[in-house]
Amino acid sequence: MSVKQNNQLQDQDAEKLKEIPKWTRRYAQNRTLTILVLMVMIMLYSMFVAALLGFLLALAAAGFRKGNIILGCVGIAVLVAALVAIVKFQIFILAKFGSKNKGLLDQIIDRWIYGNEVTTSIPKPKSSKKKICLEILSGVIFFICIFASWHLAIKGYIAYKYLQPVSALYIVPFVVCGWYFWKSPRMGPIYLLYPILYAGHAILIVAGVPIFFTTENFCIFSICLPMLGYGFLPFIIGHIYSRYALKKLKGITHLEGDTANGD
Amino acid sequence: MEIDKIIHEPARLRIMMILSGVEQADFNFLLTTLGLTRGNLSRHVEKLESAGYLKVKKSFKGKVPNTGYELTQKGSRALTQYWEDVDAIRQLGQSL
Repeated sequence: MSVKQNNQLQDQDAEKLKEIPKWTRRYAQNRTLTILVLMVMIMLYSMFVAALLGFLLALAAAGFRKGNIILGCVGIAVLVAALVAIVKFQIFILAKFGSKNKGLLDQIIDRWIYGNEVTTSIPKPKSSKKKICLEILSGVIFFICIFASWHLAIKGYIAYKYLQPVSALYIVPFVVCGWYFWKSPRMGPIYLLYPILYAGHAILIVAGVPIFFTTENFCIFSICLPMLGYGFLPFIIGHIYSRYALKKLKGITHLEGDTANGD
Repeated sequence: MEIDKIIHEPARLRIMMILSGVEQADFNFLLTTLGLTRGNLSRHVEKLESAGYLKVKKSFKGKVPNTGYELTQKGSRALTQYWEDVDAIRQLGQSL
């Protein structure tokens, strides 16, 4: 091998080595399965609570409506017991994973999913009271917008067909701004796939593709299903990308033979 | 021009490069990524630590002790300087 060829090879190696921070960061930033599992857990828990309380309330109401006082009272008693149990459970969860233990649940899931790979972390954005208040406020405004557009659709001011495209007008900027201003260490640019897909869904509806619900009871699903479906997708893609980034990283950094054992 | 010999060693250079991409990386992550033995990695890390290029952060993950490493400002500056020197030498080699 000539000196020139040797130099070229060394140059290539140096350029590859310069990519190490990039792949490490991408790997750390895209371990998104933890967020997905956390979201699914919260969703399942909320659905369970809503179904339980709804069922007990319906049971009590049916009892009183039919004049069956015993059934009504049993329904109310079980409902109160369920409410107490839920509050107790919430207090237990807050005590175990709240305040100074904030992030512990995230850590436990992280260890469960990525345990064998151990951890790397990227800088977290600084949190302040003002920022937290702004987050809560924007969250409240976001849900008001969703329920307002749903209500307007039920009242007939927005056609069911256009419910999702109208929601895209506030959901897309909300998600993009949220991603930009509250950058989470776990949400890389892949998360921007979510607003892109949501906007694409809206464009398809406007173009005439029938991907929406047309009945009053189900019209909210025109927003909820794309919101959840497209919301989950970037996390799954992020996780797959983290595998690729780790493979790339190991390909560059892995040392063998004398190089590995040398001083 | 003299290249920093502490960083120039392949394993230590890789450790520094990994740490420059993240806030913190733990011992086992470096171990699996670099493919070194525990003893070797410990020795390299000790050298970098004694040069003031990285700092050790010991903590507990649940009940399991965890050793994390973080690049110091001095380490970050040394790494930037290292690459500047390497690039300068490479350019010098190309112009010859």
